[in-house]
Amino acid sequence: MADAARLLEDPEFRKFMRQRSRWRWGLSGFLILTYIVYAIAGIYFGEAYARPFFGTSIPIGMAVGDLIIVFSIVLSLIYIRIVNRLEDESVREQDSQ
Amino acid sequence: MTDAGGNLSAIAVFIAFVTLSLIITWWAAGRTHSAGQFYTAGGQITGFQNGLALAGDFMSAASFLGLTGLAFIGGADVMLFTVAITVSWAFILFAFADRMRNLGRYTFADVVAYRLQPERMRLLAATGTLIVAIPYLIAQMVGAGSLIETLFGLPYMAAVLVVGSLMTIYVVFGGMLATTWVQVTKAVLLLGGGTVLLLLVLAQFGFDFNALFDRAAEVHPRKTDIFKPGGLYDDPISILSLALAFICGTAGLPHVLMRFFTVPDAKQARRSIGYAIVFIGYFQVAIVIIGIAAISLLSGHAEHVDDSGRIAGGANMVAIYLSRLVGGEVFFGLIAAVAFATILAVVAGILLSASAAVAHDFYSNVIRRGEISDRAEVRVSRWATVVIGAVAISLSVLFKNVNVAVLSTIALAVAASVNFPAIFLALFWKNLTTNGAVAGGLTGLVVVVVLVVLGPTVWVAVLGNETPIFPYAYPTLFSVAAAFAVTIVVSLADRSPRAALERAGYPAQLVRSEIGKR
Repeated sequence: MADAARLLEDPEFRKFMRQRSRWRWGLSGFLILTYIVYAIAGIYFGEAYARPFFGTSIPIGMAVGDLIIVFSIVLSLIYIRIVNRLEDESVREQDSQ
Repeated sequence: MTDAGGNLSAIAVFIAFVTLSLIITWWAAGRTHSAGQFYTAGGQITGFQNGLALAGDFMSAASFLGLTGLAFIGGADVMLFTVAITVSWAFILFAFADRMRNLGRYTFADVVAYRLQPERMRLLAATGTLIVAIPYLIAQMVGAGSLIETLFGLPYMAAVLVVGSLMTIYVVFGGMLATTWVQVTKAVLLLGGGTVLLLLVLAQFGFDFNALFDRAAEVHPRKTDIFKPGGLYDDPISILSLALAFICGTAGLPHVLMRFFTVPDAKQARRSIGYAIVFIGYFQVAIVIIGIAAISLLSGHAEHVDDSGRIAGGANMVAIYLSRLVGGEVFFGLIAAVAFATILAVVAGILLSASAAVAHDFYSNVIRRGEISDRAEVRVSRWATVVIGAVAISLSVLFKNVNVAVLSTIALAVAASVNFPAIFLALFWKNLTTNGAVAGGLTGLVVVVVLVVLGPTVWVAVLGNETPIFPYAYPTLFSVAAAFAVTIVVSLADRSPRAALERAGYPAQLVRSEIGKR
């Protein structure tokens, strides 16, 4: 791939790379941070975590944990759609050039 | 231990599974001739199939039985694990699954060797793979042996021999194609069996979640305190270490990483994780509900739980006892057989990754420097599989009483501290050099071993000392940090001409990692 350097100069490709890394680090960082805050807060707010969640008997801590699981799944599925589309567009642009 | 009905249904389901898996292997053997077919099923697995197989690779008996047991004992603390597991898969997806697919062919070593010095990087990756794979294999096989012994009275050694021979047969003859379909079959069985167990358990409470949690708190000696986290780990360092063990560890498991190469392109690699995370996430939620329900359902059954809340045969038996209680003998047998099938599929995947490390990375690329025919490489892989299978069987028989938790901790910590830093920095950091990666990987390895030995899992639980010298169960916060720090410092200080070449290779690798081979 001798033209790698040339492609990396290409403004369209640079835009594609920027978008890719924004999603990559934005979502990874956000989700990992959410987990760490959730897990560490459990040490200090144990009482609150054990309290029931909005009129149910499910403890808040466990309900929130399950919500983070559901949220991770939903984010993943959205991410796959976005990135697969981004990649399709980038392929089309390169082909048309 | 069990009556004829349970035994009969267990044996029937197990024989059906083994028969099906051998038919799969026979079918796959006819389609496994080249190295590409042996290691990655020719890259022709679909995203959905690979998603199920990834879920199967990850949902081991340890996570099904172990986490249900942990929910039973530790209550809310189990969430630390189930949430971390799901988040770790999302991280693999976001950060690098597609880049791995675009750069690699058979093993993750292909990726770390892409622009670095191939022989030394492959040696490092093969070492990292074996130090993850062998302890995991032994942990799984010892677990299988004990489980079968407890359930059916089949001698431990016979159980280990059955598991060890079957996994070797799958891999030797059917390679990745057989391993994938055995894994898919098992994932469907486990998800199906788990779902039926969940429904049967929920039916006991009239599908009322409030009743389920209310009764657990009523019955448990600690009352609503079981919903208070912090019983297991009560300091931020332990929590961070646990988070890193799962997030970086899962991303450094060779048998999981190898699965990304079984699909045709990056798009399918992403899609397969999409399916995997749906299955895995769902299963984590189900496991916790089953474990919490077990608290009220199993109490008062003196044959399973004594007055102090101890489970006969260990906490791993919670899901098994529960299945008998809510589903009768036949269902109990079914779940026991599913647990056994789970172990069988998981060890096959791990064995394949170990044999690829020996045959592809070490023999073909380090010893023969790539000068080897495709046919010869497949032959070497098959022999490597037989030898590693035999070693795993012997070690499992020899170390029947080994502490399984030690092995799993070491394996996950090594994946996080040796494999993960090398992969991550090779993909994202231009200045990484071979010297840096090797120095960092060895540092990670040494720190893991030293800290695990000085920590509670070995120093206290195995060696019987009063207090651990290193207080944390997981060494990952320190070992991962040390590995990254040494890799970065040595790479930056590396002024060799080789290093300059390696840095210059980054742009080409970057483009290839983003857009693939087109």
